[in-house]
Amino acid sequence: MLTTSFPTSLPLPFLARCRASARSQPGASRRARAAYRYLCLVIPALLGLALPSQLLGQQSPKPDAPTHVTSVLGFEDLKKNEKCQLEISATAIRLKGSKSTVELAPSSVEDVLTGDDSARLLSGFLGTLTMFAPYSSGRFLSLFRKKLDTITIQYRDPEGGLHGGILAMKAGQAAMLKKRMVDVGARTTVPIEESPKPASSLPGDPNSRKNSERKS
Amino acid sequence: MIRNNFMRLALSLFVAAIFASAAVHGQTTSSAKPVRQPAPHAIQILKIESTEIKLPPAFQMAIYEDALGEVKKTGIFDEIYRDGDRRVANASDCVILHTDVRGFKQGSARERQVITVAGKTSIKVHMQVLNQDGKVLLEKDIEGKVRFFGENMRATYDLAKSIARTLKDNFQKPAPAAKS
Repeated sequence: MLTTSFPTSLPLPFLARCRASARSQPGASRRARAAYRYLCLVIPALLGLALPSQLLGQQSPKPDAPTHVTSVLGFEDLKKNEKCQLEISATAIRLKGSKSTVELAPSSVEDVLTGDDSARLLSGFLGTLTMFAPYSSGRFLSLFRKKLDTITIQYRDPEGGLHGGILAMKAGQAAMLKKRMVDVGARTTVPIEESPKPASSLPGDPNSRKNSERKS
Repeated sequence: MIRNNFMRLALSLFVAAIFASAAVHGQTTSSAKPVRQPAPHAIQILKIESTEIKLPPAFQMAIYEDALGEVKKTGIFDEIYRDGDRRVANASDCVILHTDVRGFKQGSARERQVITVAGKTSIKVHMQVLNQDGKVLLEKDIEGKVRFFGENMRATYDLAKSIARTLKDNFQKPAPAAKS
């Protein structure tokens, strides 16, 4: 199926002509032979490159909502930047940290907004150590950053007090997570787009704002 | 001998001059500080508004949450209420902290870490402390920034610390009544 759709038939008449001219004239020009050899090499190489990408494109699964996120801030029982497990059910949005668990009723969530951010690839203790690396190599390592998606959740406690929690996750996962939260009853002021946009570049770039939602 | 005495005199005069200048400086700085009002019993911190400037929602909520944490740390107010808390209706002697974003410049953490002097992130806000009658008790423009190290979100923490510092400079917790 794939071979028929691939445009291999287009250069074949030219290939046949090259071959015919190379065979019919024993002293044929070197240029025709070279062209024939060149095409014999290039076409399989192009096929080899194109086919796996087409196959991958057909088989690549849709990104699923993340189950592991980082709580940046705003959840009282969780520490800042604590990694936690996320469970979304019809009755609760549950964040399990290493020591404590935060549970939110989906109906108490007033707004879910996605955004993007970036973080140093080498972070934490190792990242701090690189600051003392010789020949300013720590600065060089700062060039390498990873993209992140963020989700800002605004929710109310039983007394009506407003809380704002921020979750960070791998790039491209925020839209799916937002969709799942909205499906179980959370509200949002920015409607969900059907096809999630690809993760954008670093914040500060003009292009990076395309993935961030802002209230008008 | 005479030269030795002269040296001692010069040294003592120098030390005295240093003490005198320190005392004068202390007086001037203490006089520059605003008169601190007695702190009310409670404060309600409202959600950060960004009507003119479009602030990313993550920054908006981070300022709000950090401000709550930093004001709590100062220990000036006995009760701190969140935006929309229904208990405020019953609270007497409560002030309201209202914050409006006036400027936002999103820098780049990468530029800061690589070039150091570039990529500054700054957030400018106008803060107002109102009493329950709507009278303005305190009004100030403040800025939170991250200039050299740290991620962009650190600007929100810096801003929250400035808010708390401003409140601490202008309000003081009333001394507990002496037991008779």
